[in-house]
Amino acid sequence: MIAQRLANNGARRVLDTLVAEGVDVAFGYPGGAIMPLYDALYGHDLRHILVRHEQAAVFAAGAYARSTGRVGVCMATSGPGATNLVTGLLDAMMDSVPVVAITGQVKTHLMGTDGFQEADVAAVTQAITKYNLVVRDVSEIEPTIHKAFTLARGPRPGPVLVDIPRDILEAKISGTPAPQDGPTIANAVRESFRQRFPAQAEEIARAVEMIRAAKKPLAIVGGGCRAADAFAEYRAFCALLGLPHAATINGLGAPTPGDPHFLGMLGMHGWKAANRAVMEADCILALGMRFDDRVTGRVDRFAKQAQIIHVDIDRSEFHKIIPAQATIHADLRSALDALTAALAPNPPRFDAWAKSAASHGGPLPRDRAKPGMMSATDVLDHFFATAPPATYVATDVGQHQMWAAQRSRPLDPHHFITSAGLGTMGFGLPAAIGTQIANPEATVVAICGDGGFQMTLHELATLRRYSLPVKILIIDNRNLGMVRQWQQLFFDARYSATNLSDNPDFCALAHAYGVHAESIDRLNDLQPALERFFATNEATLLHCACYPEENVWPMIPAGAAIDEGIESLAGESLEV
Amino acid sequence: MNRTFQTRDGRLVARLILLAHRFGCDYTELAVTRNAAVFSVSIDFVGNAEALRRLDAQISKLLDYEKEIA
Repeated sequence: MIAQRLANNGARRVLDTLVAEGVDVAFGYPGGAIMPLYDALYGHDLRHILVRHEQAAVFAAGAYARSTGRVGVCMATSGPGATNLVTGLLDAMMDSVPVVAITGQVKTHLMGTDGFQEADVAAVTQAITKYNLVVRDVSEIEPTIHKAFTLARGPRPGPVLVDIPRDILEAKISGTPAPQDGPTIANAVRESFRQRFPAQAEEIARAVEMIRAAKKPLAIVGGGCRAADAFAEYRAFCALLGLPHAATINGLGAPTPGDPHFLGMLGMHGWKAANRAVMEADCILALGMRFDDRVTGRVDRFAKQAQIIHVDIDRSEFHKIIPAQATIHADLRSALDALTAALAPNPPRFDAWAKSAASHGGPLPRDRAKPGMMSATDVLDHFFATAPPATYVATDVGQHQMWAAQRSRPLDPHHFITSAGLGTMGFGLPAAIGTQIANPEATVVAICGDGGFQMTLHELATLRRYSLPVKILIIDNRNLGMVRQWQQLFFDARYSATNLSDNPDFCALAHAYGVHAESIDRLNDLQPALERFFATNEATLLHCACYPEENVWPMIPAGAAIDEGIESLAGESLEV
Repeated sequence: MNRTFQTRDGRLVARLILLAHRFGCDYTELAVTRNAAVFSVSIDFVGNAEALRRLDAQISKLLDYEKEIA
C-alpha cells in the first residue's frame, strides 16, 4: 500500500527528477506542507542532510555549488520554512551561485486564505531569485524542475525557487521521469554556454588592439571565473602576457598560487599594490567582475587613466557602474581562449610593468596587540602557513573574513567560499558543512568570528550527526569587530551595541554538541594547537581569544577613492 | 522609455514595476492584453536617463530568462 502510494505521486516525481538532474544530495528541514516529499525521501536514493535551521540548508546548498560548480539543492516547508530561506537565496543571487530551492506550499484550495503556515513565497522571493515557479498541476512537476535547473545553471548562475502545494505533491502521476545525463550535466552545460556565447571576432579584435596599445595593462578577475570554470584559461592568458593582475574577493583562487605577478585582492581592504596598480594602469581587463562599490571606492576616481575592457556573460553589467571602452559579451572561457589565440603569435610582454606594480606591495599594515594578548592577524598568518594547500576555507563575515581574504591563496576559486556580495553573517559554519558534504575527503575549515558563529552555531549538531570532520577556527575579539572598527573610525568611538564581552564559553558549547574543542589566548600556544587542529579527522573547534581592538588595514573609507586609503588609526596615508 | 514585449508569465509585469521603483524610476502607462497563454505588454517608464538605461538592461535580462526555459 505504502509502496504503491509512493511509486506514483508528485513527491516521488520531484525526487526522481532531481536525481535525473544529477542531484546527489539535498539540504533541508521538514514541516507540514512538505511532508509528502519527506515521506517519499524515506528509503529514496537521494541523500538528504538534515540541518537545524532552514537558513543553514540554503547556505550549505550554496557552498556545495560554490565548491563544485554543480547546482546546490535545498528544501523547506511552507511559510516560516520558506521565509527562512530568503537570506540565503539573496546571498546566492548576489554571488551568482546556482541553487534550486524546493518549498512546500499549503494545499491549492488554501492558497490565498491565510492558511496555517501559508506565505506567498513566490511574491516574497521574486526580487531575490533569478526566477521562481509555482507548480499548479502534478504533470508540471518534471518540466518545472528541469526549467529551474536550466535557469539556475546560467548563462549567469543564480537561485531559482520551485513552490509546490501539498496536494500536488500527493497527487497521482503515471510514468517515470525522462532520463537525463545525471552527474555529467554540469560539465555539459558549461560547455554549452561556451558554444552559445562565443566571443565575437570584432569584440576580440578591438580588445586585442587596446591590449597591444597599452603600456600598463592590468587584469581584474571576479566571480565569473568560478562560474565559468575559467581559471585554467585565465592563468594561461596572464602567463602569456606577463600581465599583472588582481582579484575581487570572489575571484580569489583564479590566479596560479604563488604567481609573482598576482597583486592580491583589490578594493576596500585590498592590497596596496593592487589598488595602486588600478590607479596607474592605462588599460584594465575586467574579467567576470561587476565593479562592486567595495572594489571601486569612489567611482569617479576609479582607474581614471585606464581604458576599460569589460568581459561578462551578463550584458546588463556593461556600463552599469564603470563605463567601458570595449565590451566582450561572452562566456569567460571562450573570451579568454579567443584573446589568448589572437595574441599568442606575437604576444606583448608586460613583465617590467608587472614587476614595478608588485614592488609597491610590502607587508600588510596591521595593529599590534597589547602585550600578552594574541592578535587575530597573527592567528591567520599562522593558520594559512600551516593549512594544507588544498584546504577549502569557508569564512563567515566581518573582520576575520577580510583578514582571511587578504592572506588566502586558494588552489582555485572553488576553494575559498565566502559571502561576498551580501555579506551574510552566519554563513561560515553551514557553508563549511555544504563544502564538506560535497568534498568528503577534503580538509574543510570554517573561519568564523564570535558574532557570526553565534548566528548558526546550532549546526554543530549537523556536524555531529553526519560525523563531518569540519574544522572551525573562531577568531574571538569579543566584539562585532567590523562594526566596532567603523564606530571607532567614523562614529567618534561611540560603541553602540557591538560589545560581546559576555560571549558564552565556546568550548563548552562545542562539547555540548559532542564536538572536540580547545581554547587558546597566547601566541606561544598557537602553532601546536594548529597542528593538532589539522591532524584530527574529526570535527574540531579551535577558539582563539584575540585582542579586541585590532582593525583591518588597509582600509578605503566608504565614499573615498581607491587612492585614499588609511593604514592605521592615526590615518596615515597609503601614498597609493 | 517604452518597453513592449510578450511574456507567458504575467507576474513579470509586477516585477518590472517594482524594479523601476527600485531604480528611482516610475511608469506612466501600462497596457496588458492576454491572448491564450501569452501576455502582450507595453510599459512607459520615466526617470533619470542613467537609471532608465540600467532598467532597460535588467528588463532585457529578465526577458531572456523566459527564452532560456522556452
